[in-house]
Parts: sequence; structure tokens; C-alpha cells
Amino acid sequence: MIEAKTKLWRSSLATPSVKRYVARVRYKLTHGAVVAAVIGLLILIALAIHQNLTSRGIDFSFAYLSAPSRFGISEGLAPVWTGWAPIFESVDATSSNLGMLEAGLFNTLKVALLAITFSTLVGVALGVLRLSTNWLVRNLAFAIGEFIRNTPILIQLMFWYFAVLLQLPSSGSATKVSKWLVVEQSGVFLPLPHLSDSAGPASGFFVAVAIAFLAAACLRRFPARWRIALLGVGLCAIGASYALGFGINLDWPVLGRFGATGGLHFTPEMSAILITIIVNSAGYISEIVRGGIEGLAKGQWEAAAALGLSRGDTIRDIVLPQVFRIIIPSLTNRYISLTKDTAIGIAIGFPELFNVSGTVANQSGRDFETVIVVMTIYLLLSWLISALANFVNRRIALERA
Amino acid sequence: MIATLHSWARRNLFANLIDSILSILIVTALGWLLTVFLRWVIWDAYWQRIYESLRLFLVGQFPADQTWRAWVALALLCTAVGAVLLPWSRRLGVAIWLIACGAAVFVLVPPGLDRWGGLLLSIMLTVVVSTASLPLGILLAFGRSSRNPSLRACCTGYIEVMRSVPLILVVYWIWITVPLFMPEVSISSLARGMIGYTVFNAAYVAEYVRSGLQAVPRGQREAARSLGMSNWTISTEIVLPQALRVVQPALVGNVLDVFNGATLVFIIGLMDFLRAGQLILVDPAASSQTNEVYLFMFAVYFVIGSAITFGSRRMEAHMHRSTR
Repeated sequence: MIEAKTKLWRSSLATPSVKRYVARVRYKLTHGAVVAAVIGLLILIALAIHQNLTSRGIDFSFAYLSAPSRFGISEGLAPVWTGWAPIFESVDATSSNLGMLEAGLFNTLKVALLAITFSTLVGVALGVLRLSTNWLVRNLAFAIGEFIRNTPILIQLMFWYFAVLLQLPSSGSATKVSKWLVVEQSGVFLPLPHLSDSAGPASGFFVAVAIAFLAAACLRRFPARWRIALLGVGLCAIGASYALGFGINLDWPVLGRFGATGGLHFTPEMSAILITIIVNSAGYISEIVRGGIEGLAKGQWEAAAALGLSRGDTIRDIVLPQVFRIIIPSLTNRYISLTKDTAIGIAIGFPELFNVSGTVANQSGRDFETVIVVMTIYLLLSWLISALANFVNRRIALERA
Repeated sequence: MIATLHSWARRNLFANLIDSILSILIVTALGWLLTVFLRWVIWDAYWQRIYESLRLFLVGQFPADQTWRAWVALALLCTAVGAVLLPWSRRLGVAIWLIACGAAVFVLVPPGLDRWGGLLLSIMLTVVVSTASLPLGILLAFGRSSRNPSLRACCTGYIEVMRSVPLILVVYWIWITVPLFMPEVSISSLARGMIGYTVFNAAYVAEYVRSGLQAVPRGQREAARSLGMSNWTISTEIVLPQALRVVQPALVGNVLDVFNGATLVFIIGLMDFLRAGQLILVDPAASSQTNEVYLFMFAVYFVIGSAITFGSRRMEAHMHRSTR
């Protein structure tokens, strides 16, 4: 009896150990097989590339990046390093291929940063309007968002470029919408703020002091009396800098015979892609914001109402601060897609990174090298955005009690 | 009736002073816009242009004597959609979908893949890419959630790289590089575009499926294991069906993304619906009909897009009802 029990116990131990051994071997085999397959695939690709390149008589190298590009792009600045600070200069046919790619990246970043800022503002506004007490406002905001999300972004770009911006009056009879805004076929003109000529380093120093003190005065961690003192010092610094000749002048767009000049000039391509991406992303962000607001606990609204807060105050002080914390991951995804969406600029000839890389590859015949460089840049951009978002998220995320 | 209408308006349009002012302003502005718009649509717009170019819009350069193929394909696609929507056996629906879509492709191939164009191209591209990226996406999702670290790393790397580069870049570079790898075989632009788009979209599908896999409770897997099922059976018979059911609305939403993204194949010289419209506008005779052409294209895209969104929302609502 006891013997049988022992035997049973032994056999029941032996089988799992054998099973575990088999499992471990199988695990290592699949592990090895996957690694071998990936390495094999990479070698195969490398061999194919090598064969292809040798048949064309060139070797795999990134040296072409420093060769002159021999083509021009319509806009875009590339950093030129003189000492420790970069100076942004426009590129031309004598610039290197790398300089061209940098100018393309500059354009992509320019559009992406502006679009992130403004689409967030417009999108949040649109999202809040969807919760308006007014039926018309609510449904109008819904219809706009729905229309934007159910049509391709490319047709929106085509529409803004070909059917709106290029149909504007041409330079000779430019339309001046107002003193602030001139819109014509050659682009959109806005006033450009710049420092007055009399501003010297001393006044600049006082401006920096004023900004620092005013920013400190906004921080809530200081007691009220301190903050008033900081505000006073900041205002004094502003006065001092003004007395020393600091000022900000606006460079107004001027209508001339051959179109507007001066001010901040957005080319039609830049304007079209900026408008498209802002409007398109605003549609998606409004949906994200609405989802966030509806996901918020009903008790928050009820508690605010019980305290006697108005609807507007509730949204501004109670709802939105919490919603922003909830929606940061979704917003991040949106910002990444928005940055990738800039690549459609090639459809209207806007020289963003993808467009420029295509020309560089064509001109130099270096397809593989260019695709590696460009993919790496896009990867880094995405990682940068998600790293920033993660950082912000960790700082302000609500602690789940 | 009047009383309910009155109280509805009181509540929804004239709740307070600001709402009342807004309502009046919006009604006036919308009314004016609609009048101008409708007057243009009915009296001034030259719809003849759209009517004349309808062929180019719908099938592009498809040979005129082969148009019946497009009609047959349309009928087959309708059958496929119907089969998936009807509430009978899932397996049968999927089987009919695959057979009907395969038959549609088969019917359309003889005139040559290069002859596809217009809306036909947009729709077929969407159907082929969404169908092909589903199995690939499922494999990638399982790979990413596998316990094998090397497999997991490979799948994660693939998904993350594909999700951080633009679609247009992937499609363009695959179109460029496929002939470099296989110089002796000639593959048409459309096939290369489909490969590139599938490779790209599979990463997105994988992320949807993975979220579904995570939504399946652990107990399901444990219960199946205690019944003595093998890992393969558990994955294919227990986990996957439940995961797919959860992500069904998201996958239908992905079909809309594929359809909208299909406009980007202009980069490899294909003439999809949007490109056809632009080609029509290149003709000097049509250049004054920009508004008509864009309005028509927006309308078509919006109707198809809204239909897909509607389907996705219905599915979601249905799911919420049935799981409650």
C-alpha cells in the first residue's frame, strides 16, 4: 500500500519533470529558430542590396550626404554651425544633400509644431461646443467633426490648395482682408513682430529679468505677498527696458503692384498644408475631448452644480483640467499621426522631409541609404513626441486612489 | 405637437440669453449659406461635366467593352458585405467573404491590373488590403504578446517602426525597392502598392487585435488549459474568437482608415478616385468646374465614409447590448 503510494508519487513527479524538460528544449528551439530566421532574412536583404549595388557599380555608403545636392527647394532653412550656436540659412543647389534633408526636416517640424498648437486649441473648443446646451451649436460641432473624420485628409489638402488658395485673386489685385491679414494667390501675409532698432543688450537684460519675475509671480507655490512683490519688480523691469529703448515693432504686410510684401509670409503650399492639418486634427481632437468629458464621473458635474458653479465655470475649472489628464495618451497618438501626416505635402509640392528625401534619392541614386536616414528621422520624431508626452503624463497624471 | 415643439425649442434653442442670440445668429448664417449653396447647386453648377466624366471617376482607364466585369465585381462585393452582416454563422460569413472577394479580384484581373482606376481601384485596394492585413495582424499580435522574448522583440520592433513612419513613405519605398530585389520578375505598380499598404496596415491591425487579446479574461485561458487543451487550440478556439469580437468595431473603423489612406497611392502613379478628379481638372475645358468636381468627390467620400462609420457604431452598440 505504502509502496504503491510512493510509486504513484514518484511517477507523478517524473512526468512533469520530463514534460518541463521537453518544454524547455522546445522553448529554446523556437527561440533559436526565430533568431536564426531574422538573421537569415537580414543577411538575405543585405545580400540583395549588395548585389543590386554592385551591378550598378556603387557601394553602400553615406558619403553622398556631404556631396552638393544640385537641386533647389522653394523654402526651408538648414542649420549652419558656426561655433556653438546654429544659424539658420536658406538652402540652394550648392548645399549638401544632408543640408537639403535638414531643410526638409525644418519644414516638417515647422508645420508640425504650429499644427500641434493650433489644432489643440481649435479641437478643444470644438469638443467643448459639442456639449453646449444649444442644440444647434452642439450638432453643428458634431457635423463638422464627422465630416472631417469621414473624408480623406488628401482631398481636404487638395481642396484647400487648389479650390481655395489658388483661386484667390492674383498678386495684381490682392485682397486685403484687414490691416492684419492679407490673403492672395502668392500666400498669406501676417504682421511680423520684431525688435526695434534701438533695443540694446542692456534693455534685453531687463526684458529677461521681467520675464523671469513675472513667470515666478504666476507660480502658486509662493505666498500672495511674495507674488505681488515679484509682480512689482517685473513691472519695474519692463519700465526700465522700455526706458532703455526696448520695443517690439510690427512689420506690416504692404500691398504693392506685384503683390504683398513684408510681414510674415506663408507660401500657398505652407498655408494649405497648415490649414489642412490643423482642421483635420482638430476634428479628431474634438472627438478625443468629447470622449474624455463623457468619461468623467457624473459626480464631478453634480458636485460643481451643488456648489453653485455656472456651466462655463464648471467646464473651465472642474472638467477640462481633469479631462486633459485623461486624454494625454490619445492626444500623443494624435500628435504623432499629425507629424506623419505632414508627408502628404508632396502632393502639392511642399518641400517637407519626405518630399525632399525623394528628390535626394532620385538625384543621387542612393535609394537604400536615403530610406534608412529618413525612416530613422521619423522614428526619432515619434519617440521624441511620446517621450515628451510620457514625461508630462508622469508629472500631472491623477493618482488613482 | 405644437406644445412639445415649443418646449423642445425652449429647452434646446432658447434656454438663456446667450443661447437665444447664438441660435438666431446660426439660423440666419446657415439659412443664408444654404440659400447661396442650393442656388448654385441647382442653377449655376455645370453638372454635365461630372456626368460626362463619370466613367473616368468610377473605373478610370478600364476598357469600355469590359465594363461588365466591374458590375460583376460590384455584385460580388455586395454579396461579401451582406454575408458578413447577416446574423448567421460567423465562419460561413467569413468563408463567403473570402470567396466573393477572391472572385471579384479574379473577374477584374484579365484586362490587366494597370487598367484599374477610379473608385473601382479605391474600393478594391481597400478590400484587398483590409482582408490581407487581418491574418498578418493577428500573427503579429500573437507574436507581440508571446512569452518568447526573441519573437516578442521582433514583432514589437516591426509594429513600432511601421507605426511611426508615414504610410506614403512605406508605400513609395516598397514600390521602389521590390524591383531592385527581384529584377527578373515584373510586378505591377498596383500589386506593389497593395503589398506596401498591407505591410503598413498589418501593424495597426496588430495593435487592435492585441488590445482585444488583453481584454479576454485570464480565466478563459486557465479554464481551457484545465480542460487539457493544447496551446494552439486555446489560442485559435478560445482566445482569438473572443478577442476579435471585442475589436470588431475598431477593425471596421480601420477599414475606413484604409479607404481614406488609399488616396495616397497617387505617389506610385496609380489613378484612384481622387486622382481621377484631378486629372479631369487638368483639362482646360473643365478648369472652371473646380467646385463641382470637389463637391462631387467630397460627397462620394463622405457617403462611403459615413456608411462605414455607421456600421462600426452599430456594431459597438450591439456589442454593448449583448454583453450587458
